[in-house]
This record gives sequence, structure tokens and C-alpha cells, in this order.
Amino acid sequence: MIELNHVSKSYNKGKIKAVDDLTLTVKPGEIFGFLGPNGAGKTTTIKLIVGLLKPDAGTIRVNGFDTQREPLKCKAVTTYVPDYPAVYERLTGLEYLNFIGDVYGVPKNDRLERTRKWLEIFELSQAVSNPIQSYSHGMKQKIVLTAALLPAPEVMVLDEPMVGLDPRASHQLKELMREHCSQGKTLFFSTHIMEVAEKLCDRIGIIHNGRLAACGTMDELKKLDKAEQSLEGIFLELTEK
Amino acid sequence: MRRLTSLLRVGLRNNFGLSLLRFRLFKQKKDLWMVPVLLLAAAGIVSLLYGYFRLIGGMYDMLRPLGQEQALPAFAILMGQFLILVFGLYYIMSAFYFSKDLEMLIPLPFKPFEVILSKFTVVLVNEYLTMAPLVLPMFIYFGVLSRARGPYWINALIVYLLLPIIPLGLVSVLVVGLMRIVNVSRKKDILIIVGSLFLIVFGLGFQVLINRSAGVNPDPQAIVNFLASPDSLLKQIGSAFPPSIWAGQALAGGFSGSGLINLAVLLAVSLALFYLILFLAEKLFYRGLIGLGEVSGRKRSLSALEMSHRMSSGRRPVRAIFWREWRVMNRTPIFLLNGILTAFLIPLIFVLMATVGSGRGDASQIFRMLSSSSNPTLVVLSAACFLLICGCLNGTSSSSFSREGGQFWISKVIPVAPGEQVAAKFLHSYLVALLGILTAMVVLIVVLRLRAAACAAALVLALAGGVALTVMGMIIDLARPLLQWTNPMKAIKQNLNVVFALLAELGVLAVIGYGLNFLSKAGVSGNGLVLIALAVLVLLSWASYQFLQRFAERRYREIEV
Repeated sequence: MIELNHVSKSYNKGKIKAVDDLTLTVKPGEIFGFLGPNGAGKTTTIKLIVGLLKPDAGTIRVNGFDTQREPLKCKAVTTYVPDYPAVYERLTGLEYLNFIGDVYGVPKNDRLERTRKWLEIFELSQAVSNPIQSYSHGMKQKIVLTAALLPAPEVMVLDEPMVGLDPRASHQLKELMREHCSQGKTLFFSTHIMEVAEKLCDRIGIIHNGRLAACGTMDELKKLDKAEQSLEGIFLELTEK
Repeated sequence: MRRLTSLLRVGLRNNFGLSLLRFRLFKQKKDLWMVPVLLLAAAGIVSLLYGYFRLIGGMYDMLRPLGQEQALPAFAILMGQFLILVFGLYYIMSAFYFSKDLEMLIPLPFKPFEVILSKFTVVLVNEYLTMAPLVLPMFIYFGVLSRARGPYWINALIVYLLLPIIPLGLVSVLVVGLMRIVNVSRKKDILIIVGSLFLIVFGLGFQVLINRSAGVNPDPQAIVNFLASPDSLLKQIGSAFPPSIWAGQALAGGFSGSGLINLAVLLAVSLALFYLILFLAEKLFYRGLIGLGEVSGRKRSLSALEMSHRMSSGRRPVRAIFWREWRVMNRTPIFLLNGILTAFLIPLIFVLMATVGSGRGDASQIFRMLSSSSNPTLVVLSAACFLLICGCLNGTSSSSFSREGGQFWISKVIPVAPGEQVAAKFLHSYLVALLGILTAMVVLIVVLRLRAAACAAALVLALAGGVALTVMGMIIDLARPLLQWTNPMKAIKQNLNVVFALLAELGVLAVIGYGLNFLSKAGVSGNGLVLIALAVLVLLSWASYQFLQRFAERRYREIEV
């Protein structure tokens, strides 16, 4: 579960408000899609949730733990996939997975089972003993995803996870997102692909100029617009100004 | 031409981070704290310069009656060029082959020589700045002392501008050639390290040559002849590297025949070498560069058994982070060269200076004093200081956080307390320091034949002091980590934190040294002094480590990525 309560974050000594009084709850078992134009505050919100940024105001709770007061408890139940897979290029894929397993305290048997499963699904089995430096962009994205799945976290936060993935990997990612949430776990992700958001998400939030312009299920969003258009139409209308 | 000019401009702006600094200073108003720090550093530099001017004045007064004063600027020129030969290797290699913007530049409609020209210019400007503290005060004060006229000043300006081109050109030719060979192999990283070591040995060999050529012939007649010729010392100093003689005589000769001829020779050779680099760049640069960053991996699935073997059975986070640090550092050639290899090299350089040098007025004198002193306390304290310098001045601790660069997000999101993360980083940096200390210990025992008791006492002091110096380096880097780099060189070699840490560490050693000297004069016994030094170092280590732990808790929250 993720709860954002009146969260604000600004840059440049308050001149640029990236996130402005954002209040939002993502329930357990829910896939939450976060949409918004470039620079609307999606990545900033995500970074606030995972503790890469410090909020100027407001509180964020992950599974009931305050991200500022109990950061380690939040981190222990959360994994994050950034929009650009910047990982230790000089380590092999397996060394990186081992590192993540060690710091999240994943037992060896679980590690073996999960690693095998995800490497197989993402077709990385043949590359896992090579340095990450030798991976393509998509392969790096997949190893970061595998690492994020390894601890079987309660909460997953993904920033534009489909970028760089081929259609097969993209499809598999969507499957695993569903699987993750079917176990009662929480998933928060940002995307620019309306179709994915429309088909996959239980609820969708649209952020514009740092403020939540709309939030709800697809049906609820459609009710906001008399024409009952597609998500793309709603998005364009809400983010026009 | 306009294209080339804009490429040069972008290269310089990018290298010196001018746009970013302007943005952070004036738009974000973030790095304003740097202004007083830079002023403080400037104050330190002014006091150092004052000492340097006094030294120049003293040497001028000594050499003037012998008619050998021309040797002074020649000496600064030679030292400046030597500095470039050593540092230039790192700069050229990283600028030509390891900066990430190359991936962006290659597809643009520039010829290879234009890309090299832009990179060479950036390094050249860096070298003007590197040489400035050594060469400029000498040129200026020598001119003032010798009441030089217009021609001297004009020649001095031209010589200064030409000075880095020849050594940098030589290094460039070697590096471009080396990388062309390296890029045919699959084991590129290893070849880069071996090649760099070869070039460093070449640089050290050059230093040895200088030391040897500076030795004075003891034959009295030769000394008379030597002193009779006004530029004999200049020639002797420059004999190791003829461009230094040309530059020295161009300065001494002004607009006379000899001055102009030497200036012309310097100019011609610099230009020739410059064109040779551009020519080689056109022929070899892209063949050495393209594909250099690519690492081919074998496609092979691991069997269930292999996977089980290689899968860790659950290390503690501190151990996992320690191994990550160790692997990333040792598998990145630039980090390896500046870390462990430097820890090994510093003691070896001292050995070279001590054993091959001329034996007068240089480091070897300190070594001889160290090994033959009748004051055992001084021997122990000096040996401990030597061990600490060898172990801690390699930049591993003061780049601990900067080296993570764009991957620092991982350290921010993993569920490991900052205290544990810095503990792992400390263990890694301390291990590198330990390697340097132990190598230096071998030097003390084998080369200087120090007594076992003195060695043991020095080692204990160094092990205690090593903790404090390692932690200090980490604190300085944690205060302002350089996380946005595209070229690993920036994280360690061009990282101001490494320089600040170096100065701070030397400062701490100096303060302790002054304190012990004071106590010694106050009548404290030798053993007492060693014990006090140990107590101070242990206390300092404990206090600084406690501070680092608390500081890390705060900084890990504050640093935003």
C-alpha cells in the first residue's frame, strides 16, 4: 500500500513546483498507472516514494511505514525500476542479482528458484554470467526488472518500465505485473503508453503541472468526460492547458 | 571552421562544467558555499606562492654570481614538462577514449582529426592550469629579478603556450598507437592497464634520466669549465629532454639570434608533432576507438549445478557492498590505475628516487637521514609518516561515493543503513591503504634496512593513522560527492575532493608533527612521543569514524538523485 498525503516537492529554491500538494492512495492488490506529459512530475513522485528525493511537505507511507521516519522498513518492502537502467556495468548479471539478494536478505533457495524463473522468462539465461557492460539497453532493463522481482517485494515502483523492451518482453512484463498484484501486492508505475494503462491498470492517475488532474478507475475517468472518449482523449483534454 | 570552433567551445564548456556551474551558482544558488571554500584555498595558494617566490629569490641570488641563473626557468620548464608527461597520460587516455560524449560525437559530421583536436584542446587547457603554479611564478619573478625587457616577456608568453604541446604530443602518439593495438584484443581492459603501466614506467625512466644527468662531475677542471659557460647548468638540466633546452634558451636569448633560433626550433617541433597527432588521428583514432567500449560475452546458459555454486548463500550486507566496491574499482581500468596500482607505485617511486637519484638535495637525502639517524624516535615517526603517505594518498577513500556516479540510486534504495554502507566502503578503502602501507613497509625493511623494532612501531602508528586518514577522505567526498560524470576519470583524477582530502590529510600530519616537535622541546622522552602520537591517532580515528557514521545517516537522506 502506498499513501501520499499532501506531498509537495519543488526545485530551484521553490521556483519550480514539481509536485504540488499531491494526495493519493494505492491499495494492496492494485495496479496503479501514473500518466502525465513530460515534466508533469511523474518521475519526481516516483523518486519521492522510493526515497531518492526528500519531500518539502507532506508524508508518504509505504505499507504503513513513513518513508522519512522509517526509511529502512519502507525500503525492505519496496523495489524500484528507474526509467534508465543505470547499473554496475562491471559486474556480471549474476553478481548483480547476488548483490541484490544479499542486501534484501533473500534466502538461497528462493533466490535460485526466482532467478531461474525470471531469467528464463526474460531470455537472459545465456547472458547472466557476462558483464552487464556487454548487454543491450533492453537486456539491462530486464536485469534490473529481474533484480526488482528477486526479493518478491510487497510494493513495486516502476518508472516507464516498457521503454526499451521488445514486444515479447513487454508482454511478459504485463503478465508479471498482474501476477504480482494477484498476490495482494501493490504496483505503481508510470507510462506514456495509453493502451497499456487502459488495459492493465485497476486505477489511473493523471498528473499535470505537479497536481493530480484526475484519478480513478477507467470507468470513473470516462465519466469525467461527457463524450466518454478513450483514455488518450481524456488525457489530452486534461493536460491541454 | 565555424563547426570546429563550436565543437571546441562545447568541449571546453563540458569539461570545465561551466554551464552546469553557472546554473548551480546563479540559477539554483546551490554551490554558493564553494565560493568561500575556493577563497580559502586561494589564501592557502597565496601563502605557498610566497614561499615559492622566496625560494626563487634565494636561488637566483646564489646562481647569479656564477652566471648560471638561466638554469632557474629551465628547471621549472623541465619540471612542468615532466608533470605533463605523467599526468598527460591519464588525461589523454580518458579524453580520447573513455569520455562518454564520444558516442555522441562520432555520428556527427566531424572528421576524426577534428574530434581529436577538440579533445586535445581540452587537455591542453587543463595542462596550462596544471603547469601554472609551477612555471608562471618562475617566469614572472625571474623576469622581474633579472629586469627583463620586452623580448623576454614576449618569448616567455610564447614558450608558455608551446610548453605542453611536445610532451602532450608524445603521450598522444603513444596512446593512440597503444589503443589501436589494444582494440584488436578481447582482453581490452587488461591491455589498457598493462599499456598504461608501461607508459608510467617510461615516465619514471625519464625521471631517472633527469636525476642522473643532474649529477655534477667531480673533476675540478670540469667544474671550472662548467662554471665558465653561462648556460652550462641550463644545458645539463635540459639534457634529459632537449625541448626544455630550446625553451630555456629561447627565454634567455630574447630577440637575439640564439633566442629566436631556439624559439623557432621549439615552435617547429611543436607544430610538427601537433600535425603528426592530427595525421595519426585521421588514420588510427576511430580504429582504436570504435568498439572499445563494447564487451562481447559468450552465450552460455549455466547448468543448475553451476548456478547453485555461483549463487551466494546470503552474505551480510556489509560483505556484499564490500565486494561490490572491490569488483567495480578493480574492473574499471581508470579506477584500478588510481587505486591499488598507485598504492603500490608510490613506494616504488620513492625507491627509485632513493636508489637511482643523484644523491644530493632530493628525496634520497631524506631516506639516508632516515636510515642512519641516531635519533630512533625521529626514525619511527618519519617511517610512520612515510607509510601513511604511501598508503593513504591514492584517492580511493576520497572518491568512495563519487565513484558510484549514476548508480548511486541503488545505494539510496537498498534496505541497508547508511552506517553499514559506509562501513563497507571504509573496509574497502582501508584495505587499499593497507596494501600501500605494506608495500612501503617492504621498502623500509629491504631497501632502507630499518630495524625490526622501529618498523613494528612505525607500522602500528600507520595502521592507527590510516583509519583516520581514510575516514577523512571519505567524509570530504561524502560532503560533496561528484555523482554526475560521463567519464570515470572525473570521479577520481579530476575530482576536487581528492585534492582537498590530500591537502587535509597532509595538514593533519603536519599539525601532529608540529605538536610532537613542541612536546619534544618541552622535554618529553622519545618513547613518550611515540605513545602520545599513537594515542592521538587512535583517538582521531575513533572520533572521525563516529562522525562519519552520523554524517552518513544525514547525507544519505540529503543527497538527492
